[in-house]
Amino acid sequence: MPSASGYFRTHYGEDTRLLDTRTKRVCYALLVVILVALPFVASAFLLDLANQVYLAIIGAVALMLLTGYAGQISLGHAGLMAAGAFTAGILFKEVNAPFWITLPASGLVGATIGVIFGLPSLRLRGLYLAVSTLALHFIVIYAGGEYETKRGFSTGVIIAPPRIGSWTLEDPIAWYFVLGLFAAAALLFGLNLLRSRTGRAWRAIRGRETVAEALGIPVARYKLAAFVVSSMMTSVAGCLFAYYRGFVSAEAFSLFLTIQYVAMVIIGGIGSMLGAVLGAVFVVLFPYAIEALTQVLPTPAAWANAVFAINYAAFGLVMILFLLFEPQGLVGIWRRIQNYFLLWPFKQAPLSKGR
Amino acid sequence: MGNAAPATLSLRNVSLSFGGLRVLNDVSFDADPGKLLALIGPNGAGKTSVLNCICGIYKPNVGIIRFNERDIARGKPHEIAAAGVARTFQHGELFPHMSVLDNLMVGRHAKMTSGVAAGALFTRRVRDEEATHRRAIEEILEFVELERIRHQPVGDLPFGVQKIVGFARALALDPKILLLDEPSAGLNREEREDLARHILRIRHELGITMIWVEHDMQMVADLADRLYVLSYGEFLAEGSPQQVLGDPKVIAAYLGRAHG
Repeated sequence: MPSASGYFRTHYGEDTRLLDTRTKRVCYALLVVILVALPFVASAFLLDLANQVYLAIIGAVALMLLTGYAGQISLGHAGLMAAGAFTAGILFKEVNAPFWITLPASGLVGATIGVIFGLPSLRLRGLYLAVSTLALHFIVIYAGGEYETKRGFSTGVIIAPPRIGSWTLEDPIAWYFVLGLFAAAALLFGLNLLRSRTGRAWRAIRGRETVAEALGIPVARYKLAAFVVSSMMTSVAGCLFAYYRGFVSAEAFSLFLTIQYVAMVIIGGIGSMLGAVLGAVFVVLFPYAIEALTQVLPTPAAWANAVFAINYAAFGLVMILFLLFEPQGLVGIWRRIQNYFLLWPFKQAPLSKGR
Repeated sequence: MGNAAPATLSLRNVSLSFGGLRVLNDVSFDADPGKLLALIGPNGAGKTSVLNCICGIYKPNVGIIRFNERDIARGKPHEIAAAGVARTFQHGELFPHMSVLDNLMVGRHAKMTSGVAAGALFTRRVRDEEATHRRAIEEILEFVELERIRHQPVGDLPFGVQKIVGFARALALDPKILLLDEPSAGLNREEREDLARHILRIRHELGITMIWVEHDMQMVADLADRLYVLSYGEFLAEGSPQQVLGDPKVIAAYLGRAHG
């Protein structure tokens, strides 16, 4: 017996379903199978890349909710990750706290910081807000650095791998599944928020604050909520990052990391969850792709010293190119490809700015 | 004005100024239940400012705005909206990237209760609430005949249709009073006729009180129950369309006084 196709709806509840059609369900099931099989065939290097991508997805989803949907610009993303990482590091070093305490603790710290650095958003907008969040970045990094020097961990805090009961999370394949589950949970939370009242309120605020207010949305409360949710997720990502690397250091959370996350959101495509994922994949893999490219150039040795400089320059270039030519980001490209095959053999797409 | 039922909304001695600029001076009127009150006046008379005072975007310096037995003159916009004051905007002010459906669902915000945590988990209660309000929105879509474009992004729609979406979004709040800010501006003849029909249906089928800022005097003369005329932020005339539009003071305010 054929199962329901999902194209024709019979009650309103179906309108909010995430995997509404059979095609989608089959595609995503396939994707899950591939992702589950991946660690067993991938090299250690590829596995590390995949884990980095998963970590980046959590952060990118968090920033997408805040910037891409609620319209609040933030340059404090690396600072928040540092806050989560240092919460884990300090709790581990000072009171030998286990993973199941440090993880929620870093979420809590993130949420608290989110309230504090969300407060300026009630008054400031755009660039001014960005600068105020930048201040947060430096405060957290400064505090982290102070802790390191005061306690004599001048090179950073070393964290033992998380232990849950008698089981230790050390194996890269185990890490792959843990980080994958966290990334999936972050995505699911994000998508859930977006299909509920909160997400609509955020999108309305991004559209026009006064109008949102006149429609009955308490704008201040929802802006703060956006900062709290985003900061909490980011901080948790920072905590996971600390455990994954086994090491916390203020240097790991430079302003460049913030720029990378902003780039994920822009290159992926503002206002799209798929964009956050594509952006995270792109930005994480980009430097490795550049490195691989210099390897195939005629004289790899001559380029070896310049790899970092080339990386930065190429990254900046790609970002400018996206801003100029593809403001909808990778998602825009993805949709065009989809449209091309849907319409084939016809060429003209209906004019649509739809997202 | 001798009406037995108390007014849905009444302004008493409302004055508003920005620094030295007097925008409204001692404005008082009643919006009677179920009636269509047109607010007219030359450009810059302060009509939109009156609406902004009612829905809390501006805070009047002096005066009382009574709604629901309460003075809302110093209330917050979102609380006033939740209490049942909905409005449309002169330029539509819709959310262009969201579908017609989502634009209307934003209007349901104050009617819904689910919080951030429940939303993140999309609990059964959240799903049921979404479905309930989705049903209410479908009724509104049917009422204004937008069913065929419910899933389209609003930014893709022609301006005339966008204005109707703005109308529908205001209706989604289940308002006790509806404030219309120049709904006919930018519409062609046929779209205006459609608009007139929607206004009349809201008046007769839903019985919602309306305050209607308008420049199209023909439309006002044909549809409005009462007129209130502002000129330079002050009361000029009030009454039935026939009384007001024949008033020499009103004609002078619009056309200027003849010299000589």
